[in-house]
Amino acid sequence: MNEEIAFWKEIAFWILSAIAVLGALVAVRKRNLIHGVFALLVFFAGLSGLFLLLLAEFIAAVQVLVYIGAVGVLLLFAIMLTERVAGDDDRRMTSRGWSWGLVMAAAVFVVLLLPPILQLPSPEAAQEIKPSVEELGHKLMNPYVVTLEVLALLLTAALIGAVTAAQGVRMPKEEDSPE
Amino acid sequence: MTLHHYLILAAVLFCVGLMGAFTRRNAIVVLFSVEIMLNAANLNFIAFWRYSDNPELLHGPMFTLFAIAVAAAEVAVGLALVIAVYRHFKTVDLESMNTLRE
Repeated sequence: MNEEIAFWKEIAFWILSAIAVLGALVAVRKRNLIHGVFALLVFFAGLSGLFLLLLAEFIAAVQVLVYIGAVGVLLLFAIMLTERVAGDDDRRMTSRGWSWGLVMAAAVFVVLLLPPILQLPSPEAAQEIKPSVEELGHKLMNPYVVTLEVLALLLTAALIGAVTAAQGVRMPKEEDSPE
Repeated sequence: MTLHHYLILAAVLFCVGLMGAFTRRNAIVVLFSVEIMLNAANLNFIAFWRYSDNPELLHGPMFTLFAIAVAAAEVAVGLALVIAVYRHFKTVDLESMNTLRE
């Protein structure tokens, strides 16, 4: 029974990682930005499934709510606000130096990321983890309450900052000029 | 599944994001490439938490929670800046924003 569960977990891992990697690749490569954002949403969903597989159910839910819900819609709005004509080929910006970017990323992977990963010991996963939502809530109130408050302040500042930046600088003189 | 599987997957995702941030010319695509890299880091946090000695301390999910909140704030401000830049330059092509060079 346990072996069967482990087998299905492995299958789920490979499927979800394929979804995540393919979603990320398409999101990065797609010329049409709207399609790219939808591929990005697929990537977020795959990652959320991986979080579930790692038994972090609250983080998986937050991933769906924040990334697929909020960030996705925000990106779509930003694209619609900036792209004047969606289908105009001239205005679609392609990538530059694609092969060099690939070489750079592969070099970072092989030189910087892979050696420390391979040097790590391979610990056993804890067999059972209790559902952590309640405990997370308690922890947010007891040791992490200052962090939570700072985060609230940061989000408020980001809200005001985003509105101010997107609004742009008003030029009252231009409005007054007779033209 | 061992810890290495998850770490290597996160490294691959990070490199995909890095590639996008290096090569794309659209500011919005660069922004969401950065988002891909942030998510790869979050996957690392959760994987290390799952394979740690005492997962009941919940350090990994807590840090990830805060990282997600900060990333959401970053996206909002970043997109607002992109829109402000678009209003000024009438484009989001990063290579045409070269006022300092001229």
